Amino acid sequence: MTRVAIVGVGHSRFGKRTDVNVAELAFESIKGAVEDAGVDKKEIKNVVVGSAGGWYEESLPAVIVNEYAGLDSVGTMRVEAACASGSAAVKSAYNSILSGEGEVAMAVGVEKMTEVDTMTSVELIGRAGSYMWEFENYGMTFPAYYALYAVAHMNRFGTTEEDMSRVAVKAHHYGSMNPYAQFQKEITLEKALGSQVVSWPLKLYDACPLTDGSAAVILASEEVARKLTDTPVWIKGVGYSSDSANLSRRSDYVGLQASVEAGRRAYAMAKVAPEDVDVATCHDCFTIAELMAYEDLGFCRKGEGAKMIREGETEVGGRIPVNLDGGLKAKGHPIGATGVSMAVEITKQLRNEAGRRQAPIKNGVGLVHNVGGTGHYAYVTVLSRN
Amino acid sequence: MSGEPTLHSRRTLTLRFDIPISKTREFWDALKEGKLVATKCTKCGTVSFPPQGDCPKCMGSEFTWFDLGSEAKLVTFTQVQITPASFVENDPYVIAIAEFPGGTKVLAWLEGVGPETAKLGMKLRVESRLPKEGSPYYVFVPA
Repeated sequence: MTRVAIVGVGHSRFGKRTDVNVAELAFESIKGAVEDAGVDKKEIKNVVVGSAGGWYEESLPAVIVNEYAGLDSVGTMRVEAACASGSAAVKSAYNSILSGEGEVAMAVGVEKMTEVDTMTSVELIGRAGSYMWEFENYGMTFPAYYALYAVAHMNRFGTTEEDMSRVAVKAHHYGSMNPYAQFQKEITLEKALGSQVVSWPLKLYDACPLTDGSAAVILASEEVARKLTDTPVWIKGVGYSSDSANLSRRSDYVGLQASVEAGRRAYAMAKVAPEDVDVATCHDCFTIAELMAYEDLGFCRKGEGAKMIREGETEVGGRIPVNLDGGLKAKGHPIGATGVSMAVEITKQLRNEAGRRQAPIKNGVGLVHNVGGTGHYAYVTVLSRN
Repeated sequence: MSGEPTLHSRRTLTLRFDIPISKTREFWDALKEGKLVATKCTKCGTVSFPPQGDCPKCMGSEFTWFDLGSEAKLVTFTQVQITPASFVENDPYVIAIAEFPGGTKVLAWLEGVGPETAKLGMKLRVESRLPKEGSPYYVFVPA
């Protein structure tokens, strides 16, 4: 079986992008990835587009994006795994090379969330559960879903609102060093704690923003990767899982079982353990989500996520630096682009190209953790220099 | 990057769905009588809420209706301050998940308490609400 490597990465500026439509936005990262890989775009035979859609004017983003970038006659599709659509796109592109279908494939994640008004976006994301039993009569929102977990976690383990705010402060700290981030400003703990309540106990600074953005990665078989680059980043493990649509059917509300399963599978496939990971991106759509991810991925024991953030274990210099790109919180969360953006970040970290926010790379192992919805989907990808 | 001129689309789109409920019609009828019921598979006994006509465990399609009772305990909750577009007329509302004896859990609004007064584990009662327009629904209130 061939090995598959990431050989090129591209990333757009994230934020409210009234200057570009969805195809123009995707083009920014596609161009970046093609140039970074040094590949003739005619060699790319398969383009998988991760996008949740619904908030921008185009219904068929894959063909719109490909036409604009001159990716003619490629095999293509749009994939959806909610906020993990980007990782699903990477997985699909990876599988196409593993299966021998082609030597080079591209995963593009793109989302334009700000072309509709904010309340409509809130509505569309709020419906990302079980419409009939959670939305029709009860008006669930995305923050509300995670707030149900936050309240249970606080009650069970003594996690505090301040612990959650610390995650936001860390995110903004690293976001301030990322030129692609939506928010490039430091914030104080007081500012986070004093921000408006969105869905109690979650506040504005516990929540990721609505974001326009794109990211792209080009994958190649080992033979082609060796020709293209001296710094291939290998996809060593891919794990994915899912959980019930209805939150009421979950057994507990202090962690995401889909993350636990996806992590186990990815570690087993890559033959690595949590302590081997040099740097990670964890899905921090809300601050509580990052704390639960530490636990679900085995970075610490269950209930000790808050301790990790308090003790700085997930900062540069700590045991496992997490979200040095600013995370979803500060970098922004363009739903379908996020998983691809995470793969871009970990690739840069493993190539030692992350500049001021570079993590020390000892084992050459990085991890991407990408959740769709409220643990409805989870994807974990282990990347390695070796 | 932001603030550039945009074309404000002239074509609008309103979506309303006709959602089939024939397999769970008795659920809505029972709700009008003030009862919250789940499906119970005749073959394997699995209780499902939300109710479903086909068993997710053994895939059998024969079932009876099972009264969940009216008492449950609070498992977790939140108070929604920023509502979706279609709920902007609503005051902030509390959404809760509560567990019935036997382990079945249900998500619904929790009326009569807020973040300061709600306590996990507290006893709740289920009540039905029959609005003049739209479908009937159920809420929790403190027991």
